[in-house]
Amino acid sequence: MNDTPTIGKTLKALLYLAPALLIIGTFNIYPIIKSFLMSFYTDYDYFKDIVNERGLSNYSYIFQDPEFWLSMKNTMIFVIGVVPISIILSLGIAVLLNQKIKFRGFFRTVYFIPFVTSVVAVSIVWRWIFHTQYGLLNHFLGFFGVSPIKWLSDPQMAMPALIILAVWKGLGYNIIIFLAGLQNINQQYYLAAKIDGASSWQRFKNITVPLLSSTTFFISIISIINSFKVFDEVFALFGGQPGPANSAQTVVYYIFNKFYGEWDFGVASAAAYALFIVIFILTLVQLYVGKRKVNY
Amino acid sequence: MKRFLLLAITAILTFALAACSNGSTAKTNSSNSEKSDSKNGQTSGITTTIDKPVTIEFWHAMTGHLGETLQKMTDEFNNSQENITVKLVSQGNYGDLSKKVMASAKARTLPVMSQAYEDWMTQYIQNDLITDLTPYVQDEKYGWTDEEYNDIVKVFRDANTWDGKLYGVPFNKSTEILYYNTDMFKENNLEAPTTWEELRNAAQKLTNKDKKVVGLGLENSIGTSFPTWVRQAGGTFLDEGSNKIMFDSPEGKEALEFLNGMMVDGIARLAGEDEYMSNPFGRGDTGIYIGSSAGIPFVSQAAEGNINWSAAPLPKGKVGATSFQGTNITVFSSATDEEKLAAWEYLKFMTSKEQTVFWAKETGYIPVRTSALEDPTWKQYIEENPVYGVGQLQFESGFYDPRPVGAFDMKNVVSKEVQSVLLGQKKVDQGLADAAKGAQDALDKAK
Repeated sequence: MNDTPTIGKTLKALLYLAPALLIIGTFNIYPIIKSFLMSFYTDYDYFKDIVNERGLSNYSYIFQDPEFWLSMKNTMIFVIGVVPISIILSLGIAVLLNQKIKFRGFFRTVYFIPFVTSVVAVSIVWRWIFHTQYGLLNHFLGFFGVSPIKWLSDPQMAMPALIILAVWKGLGYNIIIFLAGLQNINQQYYLAAKIDGASSWQRFKNITVPLLSSTTFFISIISIINSFKVFDEVFALFGGQPGPANSAQTVVYYIFNKFYGEWDFGVASAAAYALFIVIFILTLVQLYVGKRKVNY
Repeated sequence: MKRFLLLAITAILTFALAACSNGSTAKTNSSNSEKSDSKNGQTSGITTTIDKPVTIEFWHAMTGHLGETLQKMTDEFNNSQENITVKLVSQGNYGDLSKKVMASAKARTLPVMSQAYEDWMTQYIQNDLITDLTPYVQDEKYGWTDEEYNDIVKVFRDANTWDGKLYGVPFNKSTEILYYNTDMFKENNLEAPTTWEELRNAAQKLTNKDKKVVGLGLENSIGTSFPTWVRQAGGTFLDEGSNKIMFDSPEGKEALEFLNGMMVDGIARLAGEDEYMSNPFGRGDTGIYIGSSAGIPFVSQAAEGNINWSAAPLPKGKVGATSFQGTNITVFSSATDEEKLAAWEYLKFMTSKEQTVFWAKETGYIPVRTSALEDPTWKQYIEENPVYGVGQLQFESGFYDPRPVGAFDMKNVVSKEVQSVLLGQKKVDQGLADAAKGAQDALDKAK
């Protein structure tokens, strides 16, 4: 199996990789480089593709733009709201689904359905669930004497509504990954713990959580990155506006608006790179923490 | 194995080449435009003639019944022409259309014609993308007589004119009107409001906490209609000449205070989660709804079996004011002379009295010709369907939406700030000042 590498073999490998490289190069690598360069275009004739001036003013613009900071704040709230809740909930459900319960296959499918359904379709349904007068959620809360909440019309409630939707939508994927992780844990640990008289909570705390840590770590990285990039949920849930009075505007929405609404490519690219830096730093921190805490 | 590799490499290269060559085909027929001599010896004007088949593309955003109607009209045009064929290309909604035009302008694959809003056109003009149609209008052979030209409703002509040059013709034009629930109005002995005061009173009377009815419904895009309210209060929204935002004024404040007062009292609401007001109005959740006349089909669909309704012109503040919205058809300058002439023939056809009446009847948009309003078919139609006749009552107080470059950003800012005030996040003064500042910044940045 272990052939010695030769030029011929490397070329052959490249050839096999060519289709993938071509696609990644065109649609990922090239835009990444181009948008980095574009973030320095301060005076740009889009139609004739002439850059009259380069500079840093796009970056200074976004750092002075209250809309950008609002978007950053909302995105942070979104990440902090979605990631922990989503991980805890999905871990709980995954543990349940890992037990010998009736209709296990059925439930596994049910929890995965939101993930494979289109965001737009799901959001339309949630728009009805959240509706102040006719919504299921308020109807349900009404049984507990809660007066109708304007989930989608009140600027204060827009972010919570968005978080609820995102948690629900992301559960399925996390559950599947957790399930896979759970099934990799050797049953003998549990048997041994049972013999030692460990309660189920102790078993969960001392066996499941540590042995699942690499899975949890993976999920937390993926969820954080994805949550920072939230866009379509916002767009669809609030019907094409970033929430009432822009109360649910996220960074990617801001980028979208600058790019496709105002045709301000420089500012959009600069904002994209600012977001990239934030995600990059956070991921580095996570990797650092992960190295110390995760059992492999 | 080697042979297979060679084959694979060749295949990949072929794909790459094919992908590259796509862009260059667009230019092929541009060179023969100058060859055609003028046959009738005119010294000035349009010297192009069309003696061989020309196919031109028209990009539009008309879906559903609107699209079908447009197709019908275009088929009729194509049948009436010997050499000209207009090919309709639907590009989704207006947002998609705008994006595709921008992208194809860059890729130099623009169509010959497209629908466009005025603020898009300002940007196109700045980048030399669209053609000045004035030479065509004034041409003796192909043009319009003064009478035909002046017959186009003035507010639509003005909206398409920059520095005395006409860059487009009005196509699907709508305006804001006041929809009202006739059942509720009868119950409360009300007449359609004609002034702000009456509007307020009506909203107050119609509001019924027990039945969860709110008097007045407004669209979320209040930033787009805020210029109307400022004008009605006697103020100015924007000075187009100097690109200066003018609404941070006593009149602007009056307009915002009037709206906010009704919101605070709970007698007005925004569409909010319902996205557009037509549905809540159709369900009977509001008694009055101020919105676009292009929404008539949606209102009648939502109201079907629920409520009875009618429509009236917008109430007056200090003065009457109604903005006219909707797109125009514009011709791109990248087209050849023949294509432009063919496009002009199509524009003439589409704005003819018969066609504009047909279009208005089918869609609820407003006829773009004054003579069309006197047309017996149209008159009979609005007699049977009075709501379709409301829009044209407002021509006198009509104005067109501000159309500076940066209008998109400006509207966004105004929408956000006005919503912040109406949803209780900001005080009127603060919101107004922030809106004015943000809007001015948006315009300055886009310049």
